[in-house]
Order: sequence, then C-alpha cells, then structure tokens
Amino acid sequence: MSDYIPVGMGELKIARHPASLVVYGIGSCVIIAMYDKKNKIGGFSHVMLPDSSGIDKEKLNPAKFADTAVPLLFNKMGEEGALKSKLVAKLVGGAEMFPPTEDFSSNIGRDNVEAVKKALSILQIPIEAEDTGGNRGRSVEFDLDSGLVKLSILGQETKEL
Amino acid sequence: MEDVTTLTRTQLDALREIGNIGSGNAASALAQFLNRKIDMAVPSAKILDFKEIPDLVGGPAQSVMGIFLKVMGEISGRFLLLIPEHTSLRLLHTLIPGCEIDSPLDMGEMESSCMREVGNILAGAFLNAISTLTQTPMLNSLPSMAYDLSGSLINYVVADMVAVSDKVLMIETSFIEAEEDLRIHIFLLPDPDSLKKLLKSIGVA
Repeated sequence: MSDYIPVGMGELKIARHPASLVVYGIGSCVIIAMYDKKNKIGGFSHVMLPDSSGIDKEKLNPAKFADTAVPLLFNKMGEEGALKSKLVAKLVGGAEMFPPTEDFSSNIGRDNVEAVKKALSILQIPIEAEDTGGNRGRSVEFDLDSGLVKLSILGQETKEL
Repeated sequence: MEDVTTLTRTQLDALREIGNIGSGNAASALAQFLNRKIDMAVPSAKILDFKEIPDLVGGPAQSVMGIFLKVMGEISGRFLLLIPEHTSLRLLHTLIPGCEIDSPLDMGEMESSCMREVGNILAGAFLNAISTLTQTPMLNSLPSMAYDLSGSLINYVVADMVAVSDKVLMIETSFIEAEEDLRIHIFLLPDPDSLKKLLKSIGVA
C-alpha cells in the first residue's frame, strides 16, 4: 500500500512516488498540482484566496494565497530535487458553491483560478490540464507514479486529468 | 478588526447564550411546521480552526445539504445550515405531499424551493430572537442552497474570513429529533468587524 497524504486548506505538500497526495471537499479553493515526470516528484498547493497584498508579512501564510503559493511551490519542488525547468501544472477547483442571490454573489472561485494562472505564467509553467469553475465540489487524488490526477465529483463518474 | 483569539471566557459564554436563544426560537419554528417535538443540543460558541469545521458534520467528504444566508444589518455575518442527507429527505417527504425522491441529487425546483424555505424560516427565527435580545436589527438575505461535499461548502463560506488568522468564531448548535435521528446543524459566523458590536449589545464588550 502506498501512502495517501492529505493536503488541507492553506497547506502545501511535496512527495514522491509511490505516494499519492489527496484532497477531499474542494470548493472555491484551487489545488495546484505540480509534477516532475522524470523524477516522479509532485506537489499540491491548496490555495484559498487570490491575493496576499495588504496582509501583514509576519502573519502571512504564503500557501493560502495564489500569488505567493505558486512561487513557493515552484521553489520547494526545486529544493526537493525536481527539475524546475521541466515542471508542469494541473489545476482543480475554483467553484462557486452556492448560487448567487439578490443580496449575495461571489467570484472567489473564478478569482482564485485567474490568480493562479497569472502566477504560473510569470514562472512560465505550462498548464497541462484543468477542471475549474462551475458550482460543484471536487475531490482529487494525485498519483505520483503516473502523474495522473483522479477527480471525483458527487454523483458523477470519476475522471482522470 | 477584532481578533477572535483574544475573546475571554465570559464573552464566549455570552455568545453561547446568544446561540441558545437563537436556536431555541428556531427549534420552536421547526417543531411547529413539522408538528413534532424537536430537542436541541447544547449550543457551543467556539473559536475554531477552519480546518476543524468539516469534522463537526462527519468529515470533508461527507455529502450534505447546505443552506447559506448572509446576515445583514448593524451586526452582519454568515448563517449556514448543514443538513445530513437523511434529514433532508425526511423534511422533503414530510413537507411536500407525494414527494418520493430518494437522493437529494434528484431534487427539482419544488424540492429546492422547499429546502430554501426551511432555511429561511430557521434563519429568520434564529436571527429574530437575537435581534430582540440585542435590540439591533438583523436581517437575513434570501437563502442559497447546494447539496455537495461538506468540505467544499465550508471552504467556500469561510475562505475570505481566514485571510489573516486561521481561526473563526462559530456559534454552533444542532437539532435532534430522537425518534428518527433527524439532525440539523446551525452555524453563525459573525463578521469580525461586527463582533465588537455584538459583544457590546449584550454587555460584555
């Protein structure tokens, strides 16, 4: 049995094969999966919010925010022995879970996805696959042997990204 | 902004009492329209790490019915009902004559509208009681409903409340109808800016 390593909201974890990284119950958060195929090292960053500007640096958890989590994941992958120039990314999440009403609307999911994409493009990390937006919760398993991300949505068939 | 981690024991006790009064009123409303006796669990007012919230309803991968409302007025915040599948179906079967769906995934407009109305009534009763107690007008927005993983729903509701701290103040209670094990979890999350007003209105600022 290989290890299943859960990655909670605002956390960032890196592992290598044969382990799997898992997240259950993703809503407006975005999971950034980064992978080095050759060395079979992968990382998950579970970001909650798009932008860290205005947050006191001393209190900042960089893994919570898209703009700081992407470079952090990129650098940590390098420290763990991944080839930074060969890293690819997959994105999952960014849903708006509750339909908008007259008094309430939110674009937090969409804003998270956009901020992650912007941060990835700055580092020139290609996005290989994504399943983002919509209004459904998601769960993912990242198999670090194959590099495949298994995606489940309540009431739907499992897909692979 | 008020830092929730600095709340004193007395303040938390006072907030728990608010939960008691609000959910007492909501339980009566529920008992009335279901026409049966509803018991109330002892409410809690807790400073919780947001990661712990899904564990209160069976873990992040547990599918639940969520009804979300915004609390508006001088004291603002968020109001969330999480209703396990079994209870949701029971409510629908009781409230809609002829309703026979066996999964919340099969809900149509009639069922959704019914669940939102349940949310509306419970939130209205809960907030009315607090509003009277604090002599501060509080209104609830129209309810929004989703049936999905509890982790996903909670993640969405708290995301922008935990930018700085990982902690949220949550007043939580549940209703239990013992014979059929019907449960409804009620969460009130006051906006950090409103917390001071809320504490002041009950004399523990």
